[in-house]
Amino acid sequence: MAENIVIDPVTRIEGHLRVECAVEGGVITDAWVSGGLYRGMETVLKGRQPADAFYVAQRICGVCPISHGHAATMSAESALNVTIPAGARLVRNLIEAGEFLHSHILWFYTLAALDYVDPAKALEADIAETYALAQAAGTSTANFGAVQAKVKALVEGGQLSIFTNGWLGHPGYAQDMPAELHLIAVAHYLEALEMQAEASRVIAIMGGKFPHFMTSVPGGTTWVPTEEKLDDVLFRLLRIRDWIKNTMIPDTLAIAPYYAGALEYGKGTGNFLAWGVFNSESMEMVDRYLPNGVIFSAQGLKVEDATPDKVLEYVEHSWYKSDSGLNPQEGKTQAVDTFPGYDVNAKYSWAKAPRYDGKAVEVGPLARMLVAYLRGVAPVKSIVDTALTALGAAGKPEVLVSLLGRVAARNLEAAVVADWAIEWVNELIAAAKEGGVEFYTPIEQNAGKGAGLWEAPRGALGHFMNVEGGLIANYQVVTPSTWDISPRDADGVRGAMEEALIGAPVLDVERPIEAARIARSFDP
Amino acid sequence: MAHEDRAFYDQLAERGVTRRGFLKFCGSVAAMLGLSETMAPTIAGAVEAAAGSKLYPAVWLNGGACTGCTESAAQSTYPDIAQIVLDILSLNYIETVMMATGEDADKALYQTAEANAGKFIMIYEGTVMTGLEGNTLRVAGKTGLQFIDEIAPKAAAVVAVGSCAVDGGWVKAAPNPAGGTGISMYLKEKGIATPVINLPTCPVNPEWIVAIVIDALLLGGIDENGKVTEGLVSKLDQFGRPSFIFGQTIHDNCPRRGHFENGEFVYQFGSPEEAKGYCLYPVGCKGPQTQTNCPIVRWNNQTSWCVESGAPCIGCGNFNWVDNGAPFLGRMRKIGIGSVGAQGGGWEPGVLGAIAGGAVVGALAVHGVGMKAAGRIGEGPATEPMKEYDAKRAKKGGGN
Amino acid sequence: MAHKLYREAHPMPFVLTHWINLLAMFFLTLSGFYIHFPIFPGFMGVARGTHFFWMFVLIINLTLRIVLAFVVKSANMPDTREVDLDIKNWLPQAANRHQMIPWIKYYLFLKKDHPISAKYGVLQKIAYLATIPMTFAAAYTGFCLWGPTSDWGFFLAGTTWVADLFNAGGGASLMPMRILHYWIMWVILIFTAAHVYLANIYNFAPSKMIFAWKESGDH
Repeated sequence: MAENIVIDPVTRIEGHLRVECAVEGGVITDAWVSGGLYRGMETVLKGRQPADAFYVAQRICGVCPISHGHAATMSAESALNVTIPAGARLVRNLIEAGEFLHSHILWFYTLAALDYVDPAKALEADIAETYALAQAAGTSTANFGAVQAKVKALVEGGQLSIFTNGWLGHPGYAQDMPAELHLIAVAHYLEALEMQAEASRVIAIMGGKFPHFMTSVPGGTTWVPTEEKLDDVLFRLLRIRDWIKNTMIPDTLAIAPYYAGALEYGKGTGNFLAWGVFNSESMEMVDRYLPNGVIFSAQGLKVEDATPDKVLEYVEHSWYKSDSGLNPQEGKTQAVDTFPGYDVNAKYSWAKAPRYDGKAVEVGPLARMLVAYLRGVAPVKSIVDTALTALGAAGKPEVLVSLLGRVAARNLEAAVVADWAIEWVNELIAAAKEGGVEFYTPIEQNAGKGAGLWEAPRGALGHFMNVEGGLIANYQVVTPSTWDISPRDADGVRGAMEEALIGAPVLDVERPIEAARIARSFDP
Repeated sequence: MAHEDRAFYDQLAERGVTRRGFLKFCGSVAAMLGLSETMAPTIAGAVEAAAGSKLYPAVWLNGGACTGCTESAAQSTYPDIAQIVLDILSLNYIETVMMATGEDADKALYQTAEANAGKFIMIYEGTVMTGLEGNTLRVAGKTGLQFIDEIAPKAAAVVAVGSCAVDGGWVKAAPNPAGGTGISMYLKEKGIATPVINLPTCPVNPEWIVAIVIDALLLGGIDENGKVTEGLVSKLDQFGRPSFIFGQTIHDNCPRRGHFENGEFVYQFGSPEEAKGYCLYPVGCKGPQTQTNCPIVRWNNQTSWCVESGAPCIGCGNFNWVDNGAPFLGRMRKIGIGSVGAQGGGWEPGVLGAIAGGAVVGALAVHGVGMKAAGRIGEGPATEPMKEYDAKRAKKGGGN
Repeated sequence: MAHKLYREAHPMPFVLTHWINLLAMFFLTLSGFYIHFPIFPGFMGVARGTHFFWMFVLIINLTLRIVLAFVVKSANMPDTREVDLDIKNWLPQAANRHQMIPWIKYYLFLKKDHPISAKYGVLQKIAYLATIPMTFAAAYTGFCLWGPTSDWGFFLAGTTWVADLFNAGGGASLMPMRILHYWIMWVILIFTAAHVYLANIYNFAPSKMIFAWKESGDH
């Protein structure tokens, strides 16, 4: 007999999400994922100037505003036929890299870690053992004693603050994971707060501030590098890269074996889409550092070029009244006139249901890493192979299609991006020395249609803009979360997260930590 | 220092904060609060004492939000976010970072409000979503409005963080398809009397949250009974904004102000003037009509701010900032009539002025031609012998 | 019909205040345009200085002109040296009664004869009187924008009121006030165009009088 469980709100994500699952015999047999918020960005932008989209559209997401800002500005550039100059390309890559580093650090430690690490367990750790374990695991040490005292004071003080009502001591935490490893992770949880802030300072130098940056206007960037600012960017990036390599990656590899079970579930649709991110000189999507590509599970791990023409959005199960099955370039977003209520058999989400070539696809770091791996991007290949070996799955990238793979892919990507970012600063420094590097191309056209296809840290992102008479005639956004938290489409086919939940174990229906883990693994 | 709390400074040291750096920060908070720098030790003492005492309960509600303000709060330094949530506030409900999830998270919110009625702070982020009876925002099977209706009346004060919470932000921009509004407007409509402190800009600057938290909790802005004191109220302007933060324009404190006065302007991005860091006024900087202390406090641990990165201010701290500021790269907002141009299309105010002026000059020219044709130029026509009115009255036999 | 113009029509103090008005308006408009959009670099400080200086001159001059109206005597009708206290001639006089419609008809070529007028015609008086609130409105909106005065309660109230009016939701924003200040200049420019046209449509004698204090017609 199936029992329905509901997680609402799914916390530690950006936005408002509800997950409903049918559980039978301790296993999830069906799932419905509902996005809880409609603000009408696309309608607000209509009739405004193309350049204004950059400023407003990035406010869709406060965790990944950089990616939205870039996609918005690229949609204007694509519609009005402008190519940004070389300097602007590097600056944008760097700002976007800051976003990826910030977001991935924040996600792993601040948002996701508490699903795998139990602060209550950390109280049992022996301090000397903790230092020994940190050394053995190759991860950095911290003032473990002070951290443990802090947690203890908090628990004994009775005021748990952000840990109030948390599932401390849940049996779903890996029971064989040593208390010392819990303590190491808690210490790094606190350290990560500083590192995510450091990454956003990298953005702030080049973008003015974070969240919500200011400088990537259509045509290029308003930020012009100076020596002292470039130094600042470089050394902050070095600090972040070292921390990722010496702390975040070793932590990931140390914790992963205790959750090896998570290689078996949370697989999802097995279809993956990436528009690609970080432009190379050619500015072509397939040549991006993390390239464009789509993978269909039916064909095994094979990659093809992805094109926006094959995207259609359905609204049969979403609270919209506009036509279903439109390509976003001509898409519409009109909310229902009267709210019909939440009904999983009818309409149950504010998210639309986008489909690529008719299929529900997953987007995100896992999609990007698989596409890059299959396309032979060298640094990706090397770090993925290393990680596979560490997990005892050498030469079997298909094991990454799982909950654990999704988590690992994100952290591995952070390491790769950090290396590239340092490469780009050095390129920019070299270019600045040479002189003559440009950062802005004026826009002359005032009509056209275009798309900014890019990647947010959480996955493939498309902004679609039609311009007539110098004003935005139509604007549509397909966010990564729309792909991942998609409700069912016209044919009743489940979205990526819904599919990934199926087959997952649920140890305690009152506290379904496994379902929450899967939901969060998408970083929705 | 009156008392040296070793443990406190050890904790700071753990986060790489020196005692000197911390005191310096307290000085800047004092300056922001409009206090003398000599108050720095008092503030330091208050923060120190907070580290050892009971935490003040707080809940952080996300309305129609992008989570940018939570993100921004996480960029705070001295005290950093960990210190805020572990040493100063007991932040029992904050969707984006709290450990609990699902029903247990929801319970944490209601338990906090029950157990601390009248003595907790409600921080509100995001737009109040009124569209479709509030169903444009659904959390825990309820509408976002239900949360406000149930929690806000119990709070000692509401702190509205970010422009969305203050007045609806970009969501409220024309044509406001999802029915967004600000928390103070909504509470007023509902007759909920909880005082609101407004901290606009998109997102909120974490330094302002810190200033308010210190002012309200550590320096006695909220008394033991959970009442907001007169001292705190007197620091708010008529829009509920702390005037020590929002009392002066960006323009007045801008490091590029000298270039403005010298008439050294950036007319085009990518120009040599831009590289020289000239004034961004002609490319649409809204600094002259935006009141925040961004140029002084700056962003991300004082790393930079909009104008420093070569970007014109978009006025995100203004009420209705999108409609008021767009087009963001233009000097003035466009004027529409009715629905035409309501979203920033429309006409330049100057073009409208010139059209009106041109029309009058044209009409006068036509009139002049008429005057000439009518032979009125030169001596002009004879003056009427008597007023028309008098002539009519005379006919009727009346007098004047 | 063209009138004889005697110096009593515009006594010397008013010739001076008129000159000052003209200069102030000229410099305020030019500098204001530059402040609104600096089409060429280099003069912002100069433009702002000019704007503030002439703003004070204009306000003082207007106040002075109003005071003088109660002190100085000017011709009470066209074609005469007979004088009355200026304020009486400025405000509607007996000869203005019932003349609004004839004036409109006359300007629209629906009436052949020149209507009987007091010192000024009805529309002329309305326009001249309107310059007072218009100038004060320009000054007031200017003070609302000017840093040193923008936070005075008296000016802040206006800023808020205008913001509410333009934004239907209201709150603090200087943008609507900025646009209003700018538009008031256009209204003043439009007044000036009509004023110059109507004053000189028959001949240039009125200009000679007000600028050079030169009489014309039969004496």
